[in-house]
Amino acid sequence: MQHEFRLDGDTVEVTVARNGNDWHLSGNMASILPDGRIRLEMDNGRIYFAHSAKVGDTWWIHLAGHTFCIDCIEPGASEDANDGGLSAPMPGKVLQVLVKKGQSVEAGQALMILEAMKMEHRIVSSIEGIVSDIHFAEGDQVQQGVALLDIS
Amino acid sequence: MVSTVLVANRGEIACRILRACSESGLSSIAIYADNDADSLFVELATKSVILEGESIAETYLNQKQIIKIAKQYGADAIHPGFGFLSERADFAQAVIDSGLKWIGPSPRAIKMMGDKMTARTTMKAAGVPVIPGEEIEQEDEHEALLAIKNASHRVGFPLLLKASSGGGGKGMRVVNSPDELEDAVNSARREAIAAFGDGRVYVERLLDGAKHVEIQILADQQGRIIHLGERECSVQRRHQKVFEEAPCPTMTEELRERMGRAAILAAQAVDYEGAGTVEFLLASNGEFFFLEMNTRIQVEHPVTEMITGVDIVREQLRIASGEPMSCKDLIIRGHSIEVRLYAEDASNNFLPAIGPLTVFSPPVGPGVRLDTGVRQGDQVTPNYDPMLAKLVVWAPSRKEALQRMRRALDDFIVLGTTTNIRFLRELCDQEDVVNGSTYTTLIDRVWPDGWQPTIPDSLIEGALMVAGISESSGMHRNSNAVIQSEDGPVSPFTTISRRFP
Repeated sequence: MQHEFRLDGDTVEVTVARNGNDWHLSGNMASILPDGRIRLEMDNGRIYFAHSAKVGDTWWIHLAGHTFCIDCIEPGASEDANDGGLSAPMPGKVLQVLVKKGQSVEAGQALMILEAMKMEHRIVSSIEGIVSDIHFAEGDQVQQGVALLDIS
Repeated sequence: MVSTVLVANRGEIACRILRACSESGLSSIAIYADNDADSLFVELATKSVILEGESIAETYLNQKQIIKIAKQYGADAIHPGFGFLSERADFAQAVIDSGLKWIGPSPRAIKMMGDKMTARTTMKAAGVPVIPGEEIEQEDEHEALLAIKNASHRVGFPLLLKASSGGGGKGMRVVNSPDELEDAVNSARREAIAAFGDGRVYVERLLDGAKHVEIQILADQQGRIIHLGERECSVQRRHQKVFEEAPCPTMTEELRERMGRAAILAAQAVDYEGAGTVEFLLASNGEFFFLEMNTRIQVEHPVTEMITGVDIVREQLRIASGEPMSCKDLIIRGHSIEVRLYAEDASNNFLPAIGPLTVFSPPVGPGVRLDTGVRQGDQVTPNYDPMLAKLVVWAPSRKEALQRMRRALDDFIVLGTTTNIRFLRELCDQEDVVNGSTYTTLIDRVWPDGWQPTIPDSLIEGALMVAGISESSGMHRNSNAVIQSEDGPVSPFTTISRRFP
């Protein structure tokens, strides 16, 4: 999964790959612990336990005694490409469903538009695939974290 | 006898005093402004009463209202904490006049020590050494400048301009040479007038390479006055202390004895009662000079408690009750360090910060103490002082205490609001801090162009990876309250477990 972040004024593109419970970025490996912390195993062998919390569009991260503020450049859905499930980033209303069941979609294609806090958020597919299920229709209220549609 | 104490303060120090009341078996009353209704200290009192009004002047500084509440709810004593009304002689007098016990020294002692000039004269008369310096009485701008110029020749350079009725670093200027004097005088006076409504300044010699060392004293109504040794608080940013320790790393038994005696003389000179602190500048040759006396509990009192085993706040309550203080002879054990955690951006000239304490997870373990008035989920607002907590450690030696502090700071997690945690952590690695060669000029000397964190590249990569995973997995853990639905946040893990049985 690809994300654009801003850290100390620099724009950084970060692509993390998921394999089961493990996440990879170059030689580094990580997994999410049951309490929400992230266990990070760096390619130099060092192991860290990181805390993260999102405030607005900023991820606050505590890692090895340092605190980082990392801004998300495209605030929108949190994508989960491995199982093709796309979940609502925040509670809101489905304004528009842009795809149909069975339709094939490209990575980056907009699938749904949510309205939350008087702002529109585009739910974007992070992978190429076929829409296997759509869980909500236009006008539906959705809660934070629920799966909106599946792509396989 | 004292049975119910009203705490005329808020935040961290209110929590400290309210807990001490509870441990002493006393009832307590907290008073709070509307914007403090959800603050921790409000929960800790036997009874909490809301203050009418909005501004600080209408609430925590509102003498009449506070005394009225104290009478109405049956308090028999008022503890002022520090800041706010703690050094207001008129408030102490009003409390006494209304028939309540003031937990602190007499209004006369507060007044004499509160005015820098009177304090110096009193100290000189009591035989306590004072720094060369002169009060400038002239109110007129031009006359004052002329008087300061004349005084500067007698006092000598480098010198320090201080607001006469000042505190907290406001109206304070360092002047290294005569040509800097005029600009410094003008800005110091402007700041003093704005902050205190009093433009009088005080000219004092600046001691190079001096340590800020203060002696904690206790005096009971039976006439016993003791000192609890010293604290060193040389490390300051913008004339505010950030790193305090006890004992002072360069202290000797003989010097402690002499400074302790001077502090007791100072207390005797004003018939002191309760807890107080006599501040000194300690020159490298062992000469020390009276700076000022703080007639209240101090922010950094915990380091003294850690090495002496004396609970200073409980002693205040005991003394106010008319009982003799419970401490025996001074026994100093081990070493203690305190750092002040501020919501501030240390990399941007220590600019105060605000925001939610989305995560507030303090360190734990042996020899670690946290004095705070906040907890996870609170908001840091611009309404009050940005000090979040005091992290205090104790260990058998200074070296071990410093290492414990490093570990504790690394474990301290605050997310959602910028803090000075990393600055404090790097401070612990500075050579002069490690050696105990701490002087009041340390921060400016080590970081003349301001502090910037040193972050290894691998950690930046790690942090970006964590951000990527957090964003990808939708674990918007504890996102700010506004985006939580009325039914509460849905855990992203329920979704995951449903999809990955």
